[in-house]
Amino acid sequence: QAKEFRLGLITPNGHSWNKAALKFGDELKAATNGRLTLTVFHSGQLGNEPAMMQQLQSGALDMGFIQAAELGSRVPHIAAINAPYIVRSTPAVAKFVRHPAAVKLFDVLPQETGTIGLGWGITGMRAVFSSKDLNTLADIKGMKLRINPTPVYRDFYSSLGAAPTPIPTPQVFDAMANGQVDGLEADLEFSWNQRFDKVSKVILQMNAVFMPMAAVVSGRVWQSLPAADRELITKSIKSTLDAQIDELAGNEPALIENFKKAPIPIRQVDAKDTEAVIAEFDKIWLPKAPVLAELRKVGATL
Amino acid sequence: MITSAAFMAFMLVGVPIGLCLCLAGLVYIAASGNPVLFQSYPLQLFGGVDSYGLIAIPLFILIGEIMNGGGITRRIVDMAMAFVGSLKGGLAYVNILANMFISSILGSATAQVAIMAQIMVPEMEKKGYDKTFAAGLTAYGGMLGPIIPPSVMFVVYSVLAQVSVSDMLIAGIVPGVILTVMFCLVIALMGYVYNYPRADHQTPRQRIMTILRTSPTLLIPIVIVGSILGGLANATESAAVGAVAAALVGKFWTREFEFSQLPQMMLRSAIYSAIVLFLVAAAAVFSWVLIFGKVPQETAAWIQTVAKDPVSFMLICNVILLVIGTVIDGIPGLIMTVPILLPVATEVYHIDPRQFGVVVVINLVLGLLSPPVGLCFFVAAAVTGAKPGKMFMVTLPFFVISCVLLVLLSLYPSLSLILVK
Amino acid sequence: MPATRAFGLRRMVIGASSILLAVERLALMGLMYLLTGLILVNVVTRYSHFPIYWIDESAVYCVVWLTFIGASAMTRLRLDFAVTMLTERLSPQHQRLAKVISTGLVVVFGVALIVTCVLWMDPVGLARAGFDGRKLAAETFNFLYTERTQTLNWPTWVLYLTLPIFAVSMTVHGLANLLEDLELVARTAPKGFQLSELDGVN
Ligand code: NA
Ligand code: NA
Repeated sequence: QAKEFRLGLITPNGHSWNKAALKFGDELKAATNGRLTLTVFHSGQLGNEPAMMQQLQSGALDMGFIQAAELGSRVPHIAAINAPYIVRSTPAVAKFVRHPAAVKLFDVLPQETGTIGLGWGITGMRAVFSSKDLNTLADIKGMKLRINPTPVYRDFYSSLGAAPTPIPTPQVFDAMANGQVDGLEADLEFSWNQRFDKVSKVILQMNAVFMPMAAVVSGRVWQSLPAADRELITKSIKSTLDAQIDELAGNEPALIENFKKAPIPIRQVDAKDTEAVIAEFDKIWLPKAPVLAELRKVGATL
Repeated sequence: MITSAAFMAFMLVGVPIGLCLCLAGLVYIAASGNPVLFQSYPLQLFGGVDSYGLIAIPLFILIGEIMNGGGITRRIVDMAMAFVGSLKGGLAYVNILANMFISSILGSATAQVAIMAQIMVPEMEKKGYDKTFAAGLTAYGGMLGPIIPPSVMFVVYSVLAQVSVSDMLIAGIVPGVILTVMFCLVIALMGYVYNYPRADHQTPRQRIMTILRTSPTLLIPIVIVGSILGGLANATESAAVGAVAAALVGKFWTREFEFSQLPQMMLRSAIYSAIVLFLVAAAAVFSWVLIFGKVPQETAAWIQTVAKDPVSFMLICNVILLVIGTVIDGIPGLIMTVPILLPVATEVYHIDPRQFGVVVVINLVLGLLSPPVGLCFFVAAAVTGAKPGKMFMVTLPFFVISCVLLVLLSLYPSLSLILVK
Repeated sequence: MPATRAFGLRRMVIGASSILLAVERLALMGLMYLLTGLILVNVVTRYSHFPIYWIDESAVYCVVWLTFIGASAMTRLRLDFAVTMLTERLSPQHQRLAKVISTGLVVVFGVALIVTCVLWMDPVGLARAGFDGRKLAAETFNFLYTERTQTLNWPTWVLYLTLPIFAVSMTVHGLANLLEDLELVARTAPKGFQLSELDGVN
């Protein structure tokens, strides 16, 4: 029968995740001659991610694009995908999130969160923007660093000797400009939109962590759908996410060119500096998320 | 449809507006045939105030409490007097300038009108001004409160619109200064027509003494701005730093502030902030059901058939908001209109959300100064005993010039955005 | 006999509301001190290079609690924005009726919020699951008791408790106001609040 789905996400209109959501809606409508339609609620119109999760669980909301940070704060098993140095470049991220090992992480979602995971979408590798000079990983020691406050990132940047400082997203630019923090970490696309290069002295490409998003469906809603519709939704969401991943990874070189034109240097972290950090991080996280060992093995092959 | 009917009915019987919003939300869910939404209802209420930007509101209100308790307001008026008191219509200028200065510390129009009317109106009456005009003018001076930073209304707007709090606060500076200048021009004109009196003559020596004696009040805004520029605090935290500065100035310089007053000040700040914050929570529930019911989307479609370009859209918004502002005050008005109009403004007409915010806020502040429901006039009347209805008539030129400012702000985005990065 | 019992019930409602208000008064002062203190500590520690990770989140939840406790207190203090355009034109008799209806709706809201909180927090289901949040989640898809906050790492349900508390106190205050509006009890001035004539902030 006819059904109108609601999909919620927190990114604003124009973000590549939003474009993917709208495209998914169009595909669904075209494939069913308008029997299945989708309304996208952007910018957290239906609430922040915890509120959307609650609505997904009760069945009030049908679908959501939920960041790994939110799912990971509920399920350590999922948080493993945020671990540093599983892969070391955005093209590798693009391959990794489509590898069966990454997709298999979703197996725990129904039991642990009441949602069904259908696929990952991505943002690029995160970099550190700093107002003091940075050459190597060791220079991060002692920095007041604004981070995305997910537990994995906190442990990672703490192990580098930084003092992680949570600052709400809209205030980050000012915090950097005023010197409330010495640096921040973010993905390149967001950083370019916010022009963090204008308040920084150097960009250090960490090639360590990225923040993917999971396309999830309410478990309650999923149960009520006929098998053919489930298959159609799975297929068309996979193809739209594939396109999102390829496009984002494809845009990264141009983005880096933009930053190279900025008057500040953009540097790389030396791979051999990372071994000790990985060991220290895994000491904390392997017991919490044993799957991390397998993800590292898979990541190394990409 | 049934939701808005229920909302209007609740409002007309006199149910507090926050509860009208909450109850209308419940009515929507009951009528929608989607009862699982009831389960999400409490969390939406919670989520509405689960936001970092809102922390600023209790702190802004606290500064005002401490400053007033410390007798700092009185000294600001003295300082303005030393600067412009001897001009024709001197006390009228003093009123506006002192208001502008106090606006850089206080965040709320009604609070400011209540404080200033107690000081300015008796003074102006003594000098031969009409009491109604004096009270009305003070009400317009209070209008600067929520325009010049800090501003509770801009904070609420920036949370609703998801824009940076400091961007919004900075966007208010230029319009606030322009409005002050415009008010002074109107005073000059009216002073010429009605032959306004001068205040007491002060010798240059007296003036310099007064300015020196009152200058420590400047410390408070300096500390607030300095703490931001120096990397000590963000816009929100600077309010807490400013409160400490106000307490110290009040304790050690004016010596009118006592730490024993602090618990009552804390209590009042908490309750006055809760009034605003609960409205924000209620609005979150209400806009959540509106969005679920796709009301903003449909409104957007309707407006697009009427307005063909950004300018006509802005002008239509001005008219809508002025009409809404006649019956609904400040923050409730903001909460009811922004979730509907803002998405249209940004997505269809590509208007900068910060420019839009400046126009919406000033428009709704003007609603505080228009009949039948004009809260600033009511407060000025309550404090001075003047008649609110007459107040509007004798200050009509100020209303007109404020509308002129709104048109300028709608036409020229740069007026709002010039200082914003 | 029934008359005395009804009278006793009225006294109980007014008494409960007074006790709640006294507690709310202390809580509001405490939360406001706490908020100011947290922000100042954050400024100082961050400036001296030892930022405390969980302060922002604590300050936000402090404000959330302040909102709902304050909203409950202001109901009893009858401080709120309301549109009086229509009601002030009515005859005194009709004005009283409108007052009773609007206060009655406060009670309706309080009760409705209690109901939605029960649906959401499912205390019965939780008891049936032996107060095991994970078991409740497996049985009902209600994951409320398995979630924790991001930086404080507290169970979120502890913070959400402000809503059921608010729902109950709102109902009690609403009933107390209603009894006063029906002139079944005399109006009492609240103790310990020095509020000015300002009835709003904007
Ligand atoms: Na102000
Ligand atoms: Na008005």
